[in-house]
Amino acid sequence: MKFTISLNQLSRISNFLVKNEVGITAGILSLFSIISFIVFYNNGLGLSYNDARSHLDIARRVVEGLKPGIAQLGSVWLPLNHVLMIPTIWNDFMWHSGLSGAVVSMISYVITGIIIYYFLKEFNVSIVGRLTGVLVYALNTNILYLQSTAMTELLLLATMTAGVYELAKWYKSHDFLRLIRASFWIMLSTLVRYDGWFLLFVVFCLLFIEFMRMDKKNLSTIAGKSLFFVTLGGFGVFAWLLWNLLIFKDPLYFIFGPYSAYAQQELLLSAGNLPTKGNFLLSFQYYFDAMVYNANAFIVILGFIGAVIFLLDKRIKSNSKMILVALFSPLLFNVLALYFGHSVLYIAGISGNTWFNVRYGLMMIPSFAILVGYLVHSLKPIQPILIGLVMLVTFFMLFNGDVVTLDDARIGASQKNVTQVSGWLRENTSNKPGFILVSAASHDAVIFSSGLPMAKFIHEGTGKYWDQATAHPSRWARWIVIRSGDNTDYLDKRINNNPEFINDYQLIGRYPFADIYQLKSKYISGLETQPIYPNQI
Amino acid sequence: MRLAKFYSKDSYMNKEKRISRISLLIVIIVSFIVLLISIRGLKGNPNSTELNNIKWTDNGPFELSPERGRFALLYSIVEDHSLHFSLPLASFASPDVAVANGSFVSLFAPGVSVVSIPGFIIGKLFGISQVGTFATIALFAFMNVLLIRSISIRLGANPLAASIGSLTFLFATPAYAYAVTMYEHHISLFLILMSIYLLLLENPTFRRMVIVWFLLGLSILVDYPNILLIAPIALYTVWKYAAFSVYKNKLRFNFYPVMLCTVYGFFIPVGILLLFNFYSHGNALQLSGSLETVKNLGITTQLGTSVDPRLKDIGTIQTAISSAETKAYLDKQVSGGDQISLNYFNTRNLLNGLYIYFFSPDRGMFYFTPVMFLGILSVIFAYKKKVVFFSVLIGIISINILLYSMWGDPWGGWAFGSRYLIPSYGMLSIFIALLLTYFRKDVILLIIFSLLLSYSVAVNTVGALTSSRNPPQIEVLSLESITKQVQKYTVQRNFDLLLNRDISKSFVFQTYLKNYLSASQFYVGVVLLILFTMTGMTVWLGLMTEDRVKTKI
Repeated sequence: MKFTISLNQLSRISNFLVKNEVGITAGILSLFSIISFIVFYNNGLGLSYNDARSHLDIARRVVEGLKPGIAQLGSVWLPLNHVLMIPTIWNDFMWHSGLSGAVVSMISYVITGIIIYYFLKEFNVSIVGRLTGVLVYALNTNILYLQSTAMTELLLLATMTAGVYELAKWYKSHDFLRLIRASFWIMLSTLVRYDGWFLLFVVFCLLFIEFMRMDKKNLSTIAGKSLFFVTLGGFGVFAWLLWNLLIFKDPLYFIFGPYSAYAQQELLLSAGNLPTKGNFLLSFQYYFDAMVYNANAFIVILGFIGAVIFLLDKRIKSNSKMILVALFSPLLFNVLALYFGHSVLYIAGISGNTWFNVRYGLMMIPSFAILVGYLVHSLKPIQPILIGLVMLVTFFMLFNGDVVTLDDARIGASQKNVTQVSGWLRENTSNKPGFILVSAASHDAVIFSSGLPMAKFIHEGTGKYWDQATAHPSRWARWIVIRSGDNTDYLDKRINNNPEFINDYQLIGRYPFADIYQLKSKYISGLETQPIYPNQI
Repeated sequence: MRLAKFYSKDSYMNKEKRISRISLLIVIIVSFIVLLISIRGLKGNPNSTELNNIKWTDNGPFELSPERGRFALLYSIVEDHSLHFSLPLASFASPDVAVANGSFVSLFAPGVSVVSIPGFIIGKLFGISQVGTFATIALFAFMNVLLIRSISIRLGANPLAASIGSLTFLFATPAYAYAVTMYEHHISLFLILMSIYLLLLENPTFRRMVIVWFLLGLSILVDYPNILLIAPIALYTVWKYAAFSVYKNKLRFNFYPVMLCTVYGFFIPVGILLLFNFYSHGNALQLSGSLETVKNLGITTQLGTSVDPRLKDIGTIQTAISSAETKAYLDKQVSGGDQISLNYFNTRNLLNGLYIYFFSPDRGMFYFTPVMFLGILSVIFAYKKKVVFFSVLIGIISINILLYSMWGDPWGGWAFGSRYLIPSYGMLSIFIALLLTYFRKDVILLIIFSLLLSYSVAVNTVGALTSSRNPPQIEVLSLESITKQVQKYTVQRNFDLLLNRDISKSFVFQTYLKNYLSASQFYVGVVLLILFTMTGMTVWLGLMTEDRVKTKI
C-alpha cells in the first residue's frame, strides 16, 4: 500500500501551519481551557479555594457595596488580578460563578502556553520539542484546575514567563526594545504576587552582570542601563508602596499591617507551625515535594536533566544560558521564603496529613515545560520514547484526576466549608431589612457563599459604617457573623467586650467557622437599615 | 601471502567461535546447576486440604499469596477441572481471591498457571508436583539467561561479556529469588526478550512476525500491565511495516498491509484471555484484577471449623450463597469492585515509587543489586554509540520503572527486592554486557564491577535460598506491635533465617543435603560457585587480546 504526497503540497501545508502557529496553538489551548473550566465548574469545584472567593469579593467591592471604589483593592493582596476582574465583576453571574476571575486565569493560561512555544522556538527547538513543551504545561491537571478558578497563579505565570522570554530575546539581540518589554512584563508580575518582586531582583542582578560584561569598566553606562531597567520594572513596586502610603498612611502597611502575611506567619510561628523557618534543607524538601506533586516527579526529573543539557549545549551562547537562573527563580524564591519564615507550606506526609499552599509548586511548571521541550529536541534518537513516556504519565495524571491543588483547596488548611453559615444567612436575611456586620478579612468566604449583595454587609472596608457599627452594633447591625473567642477574628477583637454586643444580641447558631448573632427584636426599631453615607472617600 | 592471511582470519574466527562456545557452555552448566539446587519446594503431591497446612504455606514453598493464588488456579484446572476454586483452594489462595457469580475465582491473570501445567503433571509423576511447577519458572529464567546473552551479542557485545551480563541478571538481581518460585516475572520477561530476539533477526518473515505478535499477546495473559510494557516493541514492529522515501519531488509512504495481517497473532492469546474471563467470572471484558476481592476470608481459613457455621463443610461457596442470609454475609466481605485496573496507577505515587525502587533499604536497587547502576551508566555510552534497538530497550526500562512507581503498592507486597523491576534488570544486563565490552581493558571498572557483583550475588543468593517474605518498611511498626518482637525488613531478615534459624527452602537442600550441611554452608557453596565462575569470566575478559573483541557497534 503506497501513499504519496508532493513535496510542494507538503511545503504548502507546512507554511500554512508555520504562518498560523499562534492561532492554532491558541485555538487548541483555548479549547483545553474551556473544557477544563466546564468540567471543574460542573463538578462544583470552581471555587474550592477560599482565597478564590476572597479575590472575587475584593473586585466586587470596588463596584458594589456600602463604600465602593478603587480603595477597596486593599493591601492584603497585590492588585492586578482584582483590577482585571473589574470589567466583568459587576455582573452577578460572573461574580458568583467565579467566571470573572477564571477568565483572567484562562486568558493567562493561553498566553503562557503560547510564550512557552515561542520561548522554545527562540532556542531553535524543533516543532516536536515545542509542542511537547506546550503539552507538558497545558495538560498538567494542576495548571488546568488553577486556570479554571479565580486565583492569581496563572496571571503570575503569564507575566513572569513573558518577562523571562523577552529577557531571553534580549540576551540574544541586546535590543533595548526587548529590555523594555521584559521590564514591562516583570513590572506587571510585581503587581500580582511577591514572587514577581524576587524575579525583578534576579533579573536586575543578571542584567547588571551582563551590562558589566558588555561595558567593561564604564560604570556610568552600567548604572544608566540598570536604572533604565529598574525605572519601568520597579514601577509596580513603587506604585504599591505609594498606594499603601496614600490609603493606609504607611508604605509598608502590606508587610506589617494586621491583615498581612507577616502577621499570619507570626501567629503560626508562635504556635510552632513554621517548621521550615531557619532550616534550609527542610525548606528545600518542602518546596521540592510541592513541585513534584504539582508537576509530577517524572517531569521534574526530565526538567532537571533538560537544564543540565541546556547548560552543556555548546550551540547556545554562554550569556544566553543565564536565562536558566531566571527560569529557576521561583524555586529559589520559594525556598528562601520558607527558610526566612515569610511563607508557609504544608505537605501531607511531611507536615501531618494536611496540605497548605501546595499550589506554590506550580510556579516551576512553565520552566519545566520549556526544559522538557528542550530535552526532547536535544535527544533526537529517543524522541519518540520520551514523548511516549511524557504522554503516558500525563494520561495517568488526567485519567486518575491527580490534582493536588484541589486537595489543597478541599481537604487542606486552605479549605473552609462555610455552607451552613452562608446558607443560614441566605435563607434568613435576604428578604429582611438590615445589615450584617462581619470581618471580610476573616469571613470573605461567608460573604461570597451567602449570595447576598455586597451592600448588605458592613465590613472593614466600609469606613464610617464599620467604625459606627463596631462602636454601636445595635444601631447598625441586625446580624453579626463572628468567631467568638478567636483572636484571629478581627471583629471579635473589636466588639467582644462591647456591652451592646453582649446584651442586645442572641446567638442563633454555632457553625464550623463562624457563629451568627441576631439583634433581639425589641431593639430592631432603632436600627439603621439603609445606607446614610453615600459619598464616603 | 593470501593463504597466510586467510589462515590467520580463519584462526581468529575459530578462536572467536571457541570462546563463544566455551562461555555458552559455562553459562548453561552454571545456571542450570544453580537453578536446580535453588528451586524451593517440598517432596510430595499435596491435595487441596494439605495445601492449607502451614508446612506448605508459611513454612514452605507457598509462603506468599501470589504463589498460592497461581498454584490454586493450576490445581483447580488440573485436579478439579474447574476455573472456580473449591473452598479449600479458596482458603489456600486467600487473600488474593475474588468472588464472581457466587464462586471463588483467582485474582490473577491465568497465564502463569496454564503455562506451568506440564511442570505440575511431570512433577506429579515423580511425587514432586509443586517442585515440577516451580521448575517451569526456573526453566523460563534459564531461557532468559540465554536470550539476554544472544541479544547482547547481536547488539555488539563480546560473547564473554554477554555471558557475564546474562549471569549477572540471573544471580546478582532479585530475578534469582523469583526464578525458584512461582511468579509471573520470568515468563513476562521471556516473552519480551523472545520478541526482541525475533525482531533482531534479519529479514522479518510473515511467520516470524505472527510469532512476535503472538508472544506480545501472550504476555497480557501472563500479567495485565504487560500491555503497557510491550508497547515499545509493538510500536517498533508496526514501524517495521512502514517506509518513507522521496521520489520525483514526492514523499512516498509505503505500508505493507500483508505484514499488518500478522497482528492476528496478537489476538489469539487475547481471545483466550477473553474466553477465560467469560468462563471464570462471566464477563469476557472484566479483568480478574478488577473483581470484587474477598476482604476477610476468615470464613474459610479454619477449614472444617469455619468461623461462620453456615459455611461449615459446605464444599463450595456456590451452595452456600443459595441462602440469602449467607449472601448478605458474603456481600459484607467484598470490596473494591468499582475500581478498574488503570486506577491503580497514580502519578502522585511516582516520587515515593522511585525512591522505593532505587534507594529504599527494603526494596531499593542500591541495597539489593547495586551492580545494576553500572547498567544505568552504560545506557549513556550505548546512547552515544547508537546501539541498535536502543530506543526499544530504554522504552521498556522506562515504562517498567514509571508504571510500577505509579503503582499503589510499589513494594510488591511482602517480597524480596523490587520484583516488579525484573524486566528492567533483564534490559540493564544487556547494557552491562555492552559496558564490559567497551571497557574490557579498564581494570578499575572491572574491579568495581567485580566488587558490586560479589555484593549483589551474596545478597540475592540469600534471598533465593531462604525466603521472599520480607515486609515493606512501612508495615514494620504495626507488625512489631502485633508480634511483640523486632521485625527486620531488609536482607538482614534473610540472613537471620539462614544463620540463626538454619533455614533454606531449597528443595535439594531440604530433601538431600540437610543432614550433611547447614543452611549457611549450603549458601556459601552456592555463592562461591557463582562468584568463582563469574569472576573467572571477568578476569578472562580482561586478559583477552584486542583483536578478539571486535564488535558490531
